[in-house]
Amino acid sequence: MIILNLIILLIVPFLMAGVIKKTKAFWGGRKGASIFQPLYDFIKLMKKDFVISKTTSTVFKIAPIVQIASVLFASMFVPLACGNALINVTAGIVIFAYTLSLGKFVSLVSAMDTGSSFEGMGASREACFTTIVEPAFFMLITSIMALSGNFTFDSLQNILASAGNYGVLIQIFAVVVLFIMILIEGSRVPVDDPATHLELTMIHEVMILDNSGSDLAFFTWANSIKMLLLSSLIAYIIIPQGLSDLASIGAYLLLMFIISIVIGTVESAMARFRMSHVFEFVFLMSSFALVVLALVVARMFGG
Amino acid sequence: MNSFFTSLIILLMCGFAAGRFSDKFKIIALSIFTAIASVCSFLPAVNVLLGGETLVKTFNFNPLFGDVNFVIDPLSAFFVIIISVMSLVTVIYANGYLRPYVEKGKNINAHLVFLPMLFASMQAVVTCQNAFMFLICWEIMSLSSFFLVIFENEKKDVLRAGIKYLVFMHISVLFIMIAFAFLSIKAGSFDFNAFKAVLSKNIHFANLVFALLFIGFGTKAGFVPFHNWLPDGHPAAPSHVSAVMSGVMIKTGIYGILRVLSLMGTPAKGVAFAVLVISLITALYGVLYAITQNDIKRLLAYSSIENIGIIGMGISVGMLGLAYGQPVVAMLGFSGGMLHILNHSVFKELMFMAAGSVYTKTHTRNIEILGGLVKSMPKTAILFLIGSVAICGLPPFNGFISEFLVYLGMFKGLSIHNFFSVIMILFAIAGLALVGTMALLCFTKAFSIIFLGMPRSSSAQKVTRDNELSMIIPMGFLAVMALVIGVLPIFAFALILSPVSVLMPVVQYNILPTLSVVGVITLYALAFLVFLAVLILVKLKLTNGKIDMHETWGCGYNRPNNHMQYTASSYASPFLSMLNPLIKKVFDVEKPRKLFPHSAHFNFHVEDIEEAYIIEPVLKTDEWFLSKFEGLQSGNIQSYIKYGLIFLVIVIIGSLLV
Repeated sequence: MIILNLIILLIVPFLMAGVIKKTKAFWGGRKGASIFQPLYDFIKLMKKDFVISKTTSTVFKIAPIVQIASVLFASMFVPLACGNALINVTAGIVIFAYTLSLGKFVSLVSAMDTGSSFEGMGASREACFTTIVEPAFFMLITSIMALSGNFTFDSLQNILASAGNYGVLIQIFAVVVLFIMILIEGSRVPVDDPATHLELTMIHEVMILDNSGSDLAFFTWANSIKMLLLSSLIAYIIIPQGLSDLASIGAYLLLMFIISIVIGTVESAMARFRMSHVFEFVFLMSSFALVVLALVVARMFGG
Repeated sequence: MNSFFTSLIILLMCGFAAGRFSDKFKIIALSIFTAIASVCSFLPAVNVLLGGETLVKTFNFNPLFGDVNFVIDPLSAFFVIIISVMSLVTVIYANGYLRPYVEKGKNINAHLVFLPMLFASMQAVVTCQNAFMFLICWEIMSLSSFFLVIFENEKKDVLRAGIKYLVFMHISVLFIMIAFAFLSIKAGSFDFNAFKAVLSKNIHFANLVFALLFIGFGTKAGFVPFHNWLPDGHPAAPSHVSAVMSGVMIKTGIYGILRVLSLMGTPAKGVAFAVLVISLITALYGVLYAITQNDIKRLLAYSSIENIGIIGMGISVGMLGLAYGQPVVAMLGFSGGMLHILNHSVFKELMFMAAGSVYTKTHTRNIEILGGLVKSMPKTAILFLIGSVAICGLPPFNGFISEFLVYLGMFKGLSIHNFFSVIMILFAIAGLALVGTMALLCFTKAFSIIFLGMPRSSSAQKVTRDNELSMIIPMGFLAVMALVIGVLPIFAFALILSPVSVLMPVVQYNILPTLSVVGVITLYALAFLVFLAVLILVKLKLTNGKIDMHETWGCGYNRPNNHMQYTASSYASPFLSMLNPLIKKVFDVEKPRKLFPHSAHFNFHVEDIEEAYIIEPVLKTDEWFLSKFEGLQSGNIQSYIKYGLIFLVIVIIGSLLV
């Protein structure tokens, strides 16, 4: 189980990034790089030396480690490949979210450590979006948990059973919320643009301007893993229970593939929002989460 | 119990004794006395917490008071322990912090008297079970802390803040007095145990009393909308005093609320919901204003308000559990709140001390002109970082454990099948998540602007070395405590188990699920630390390669300077731009106008809306109304005698009519 998880965490995030790029190339009429390119990039970055800013301190050097550690640790609480999570515990969502927050804390602080105005700007926006995204995430997941009375991520799998008529509706909205969250947390268009590095409109990418070598590799890997984890939650909602192990892994990988293609298509079809509109987009996520809450309450106390 | 009173007496007297020593040894003497006193009060309290008998000592020195009981039950013992440990830590820190003042020739004798007096009065407040005596101790606590706040009384704004604090404390004590008066008239005695019977008899009366006491104690604790003294009082006081006030003294307000709860038995459902709503608003309001502040100690003061809100949420979840007869919910809620009391005093003392350490070196509290201190003050920086991570409630530090318990309590509370409670709790969960992320924004801002980047002014540039060990060691101790509670919560849990049982008099609860959860968290935290260590080792192996040092990347521009960095205001600005109606921004701008501009400045701060829209208008109206009576104060003795005469006549007529 641990080995399977490790393999997934090591390979699938990069493949997803590769598929997204390939999709964008397809819509742009280009041939595009191989879908393994992000993995090659990662390996190459790991071998490289460092260029570090004179302004920075130890915080900057430790941050990538803490970031990747916290993301990997958080991944233990999420059911990958539709099996059970490695650590399946009541209120695991709190540990999951707060561990990710620790990673966010150090990445924000390390961006501020360079004394660069670009990175400061990125950090300030990232912190700002987090304040909206995380409560919405909590609202979504805890509403679903309240429905089944089971406070582990398993309750995501049982929406249909516990929500009756409202099940499909809740599933749809939950998937939409999580998808928007992937776009925000994974810093994709229309919130952010991972393809450019020096626009003043950047958020996540600009925070890692001064990182190099394995530091940069860790940050990009951590970011891809975050996308994978959220996608895995979507998979947990959509893929029905009771499949055989092999079938569920197959379905999982297929779904990851589909999600990557959808992200790539969204990126090709849309332009980046202006910063003020990004806020509106982020609030869209909260409002959908509120809809889920309303549906859950309606199911519990309505007819 | 005798050793506890020994400790009180030592604390009350030692300030006078310490003043007799020569300047150099004054505070050292005070530290030694406080250490003895702390041990004397710590030991019996620990004994009580670990299952020893409740200690009682009865005095009868005045027929008016009736019997005065000093009782150390588990709830009191918990607070006694916090007070003893924190007062010792504070006094040791004061050694380093007060030295520059002593060297400048400031007379600190009065300060040395009031500091231990504050500790003694806090100890007395949390053990006294007689309403009359309680109020006396409460008043000593307020007054002694007032004199500590106005330590730098040559500054006008310090005096202003001190007087504001004094006024607020007396409004608070008024409410407590009214409630106690009601209770003691009904009960015919000043003893808390007698109140118990009265409170359980009439539920409406109990609710009224609880409301009065909540306002009274809530003002001390800093619940919104009674919080207004905190953001002024803390910055005015010297850092070790702010630390002890924020870390310990405001918790006596929480103690008061908990004590009333323990007397009330099962609270009404409406009251529990009301406390939940107030606490949630308090937490959000506190952290929102913490984000807006650029004065480090004001920021920390607002963050105290936030944490009081979190404590309140835990307590209200406990109350909900009691009200709906769900012992597990009550257990989790109360333990979360109780543990957060301990945790907050650990990391908030740490933060205030670290802020004080920065202040001693830079002589400024304005974070906008700091920066780059991690290189000159590495120890303070690491300690501040640990405090920040802990205060954001992030693992593996202690803040996470208590917030986790509150979350868990709320999750279990969702099983209460009641429309209102489900909706409230779902929003409270999202609200707590929001508080957490806002705290993240607030403290990444505080830490990175103070310690990271390049120095933003000469006062930050000039710092050459870190503070002396007497300041670093207490902070280090607190940081270690934060980590230990985070990684091995089972020990902290042993401390809060019996106090929680005081609050749940009737229901039997099952502690096993909670204990196992805590054990699991411990395991994860350990796993996390090991994981981190392994990764850092791997990374160290990797960095054996070459490291090139260059300027920060600025699009090819190679001479970045300190003015190009992001500032605290700009860091918070995207977030604050979403919340315009909730804050009052005050700009002071002078634009460069002429062809060759010479003077220009930009200043920005945020005012508390409560202060701006409620307190100030009320004060203005008051001033206007009272100015109508100015004529009465003529300075003429004859007219004063006339007033006396008129008053007497009114009293006589009045008493004849009655």
